[in-house]
Amino acid sequence: MLVIQQLVNGLMLGGVYVMVAVAFTLIIGMLNFLNFTIPALFMFAAVLMYATMMGHLPFGNDLILSIFGTEYRWVAGIIVALVVIALVSLVIERFTYRYMKAKYGDATEHALPLVSSLGFLIIFEHLVVSTWGSDPLTATSPFGQGTFSIDTIIFSVPQIVSLVLSLIVVVMLSVMLKATKLGRALRAIAERPDTAILMGVEVGRIVPVVYVITGLLCAVSGILFTINYATVDAYVGDTVATVAIAGMVLGGLGNVWGAIIGGLFIGMLEVMSIYIVGADFAKLPIWGLLLVLLVFKPTGLFGHTLIGKGKF
Amino acid sequence: MLLDVQGIDVRYGRNHAVKSVDLTMDEREIVTVLGANGAGKSSLLKAIQGSEKSTGTVLFDGVDISGWSAPRRVNAGLVLVPEGRQIFVSMTVHENMQMGAYCRKDDVGAEIDEIYDRFPNLAARRDMPASVLSGGEQQMLAISRAMLAKPRLMMLDEPSLGLSPILVKQLFTLIEELNDGGLTILLIEQNTHMALQSADRGYVLELGDVVLLGDAKTLQEDSRLGEAYLGTH
Repeated sequence: MLVIQQLVNGLMLGGVYVMVAVAFTLIIGMLNFLNFTIPALFMFAAVLMYATMMGHLPFGNDLILSIFGTEYRWVAGIIVALVVIALVSLVIERFTYRYMKAKYGDATEHALPLVSSLGFLIIFEHLVVSTWGSDPLTATSPFGQGTFSIDTIIFSVPQIVSLVLSLIVVVMLSVMLKATKLGRALRAIAERPDTAILMGVEVGRIVPVVYVITGLLCAVSGILFTINYATVDAYVGDTVATVAIAGMVLGGLGNVWGAIIGGLFIGMLEVMSIYIVGADFAKLPIWGLLLVLLVFKPTGLFGHTLIGKGKF
Repeated sequence: MLLDVQGIDVRYGRNHAVKSVDLTMDEREIVTVLGANGAGKSSLLKAIQGSEKSTGTVLFDGVDISGWSAPRRVNAGLVLVPEGRQIFVSMTVHENMQMGAYCRKDDVGAEIDEIYDRFPNLAARRDMPASVLSGGEQQMLAISRAMLAKPRLMMLDEPSLGLSPILVKQLFTLIEELNDGGLTILLIEQNTHMALQSADRGYVLELGDVVLLGDAKTLQEDSRLGEAYLGTH
């Protein structure tokens, strides 16, 4: 039974990684680079959620308190995190895409956005450390520790809600990609940006939309993280990023459903490794498995060999 | 005059690909641009379409569109069928058609049905990935996709490339039919003979310069046309 309990916990943890893994995979698929601002946005959203709920924002705490009262400050937290991340995403788009894209040939197209996004990660970490310090920040969950059990397996209500919410968001995203005009335009840009322009697609206007979508995925994920695990710090993005990247690679780069399955699987693998080999070595099985997989099946479970060519 | 291109220049670094080219087109004309590889034909088309940076003036139906983005030109009815067809292979045949109509807000269902009536092969593969299509079918899809953007001027970049002689014939029949339906067509071709048979007028480019222009019939008999291809000037 303990094993099943661990699997359930892993699934819940995977639910957090899923949206971050999907965000990574969307940017890789469409714009062909590994975007390190994604963990930064995840972390920043988690910290903003904490700070708004606990009244630790640099300014505006009294205003939020007067509008939402103590009881509904978590609602304010969600709004603040989503709005700030959406705006920040638009700034990031300029410095990782618009001003970088293919201006001086191939290197600027692929390497510079990555380096630039890595810069953003470091900037955000320092911003958070200088404002809130480097110690773990603990929030009190607005929902308490609601649990229920089936047989002897314990389920945490916030965690289940998070997992379901993650899956709903990702399913909506997937339907959007499959069945809407915007989704088709995004897939067209992913496969052939030059031809998409010939169909009248304003690539320069749509790419910011992609950044906002991935930013909001990270934000929702970060908000849920704070609600579920209550403790955040400036470096929580690093952990989530490495695991989400592992999940994305496992599922196949640029494949949304692959990222979902990969994310959930890595979550379960992590919890099981902690259970079996202990927390000190928990990362070894994940990355060991990944290295083996990359040798024998570099496309991941569901990916294509051509990154940036038709994956959604 | 539908299209009036004045002094178009395209440069890639030190390479001067198109040198101050003038080109005009009347409504319902078929005009072909001929020339050897590297003569600057594709660059000229992309410059007119707006997807290649250029200097000079492009008037479309009397309006100066030189500063317009490529998508804006598509909306105005200036549509390019790119070289190599550039079908979206990750999408179905039907989704490719829908992409063609991306710039439109009205319902295109009836127009897509008409295309399926005309090309039963495309209709049969409607929901399959476009990658299953043969080269000829892909070209039909590429042209259909462009038609769905409701072009006033369609530009085709080497549409016959890689097609068998029978398919090339079908292609030119289609181009003439579209022209009979009122469409103005600017055509780049390696297949000089076929192009000049369909076209009303032609331009011959050599290293970015227009070296010959005139009536398609006159051009066919001009010995300098062959020289432009062989580069014996």
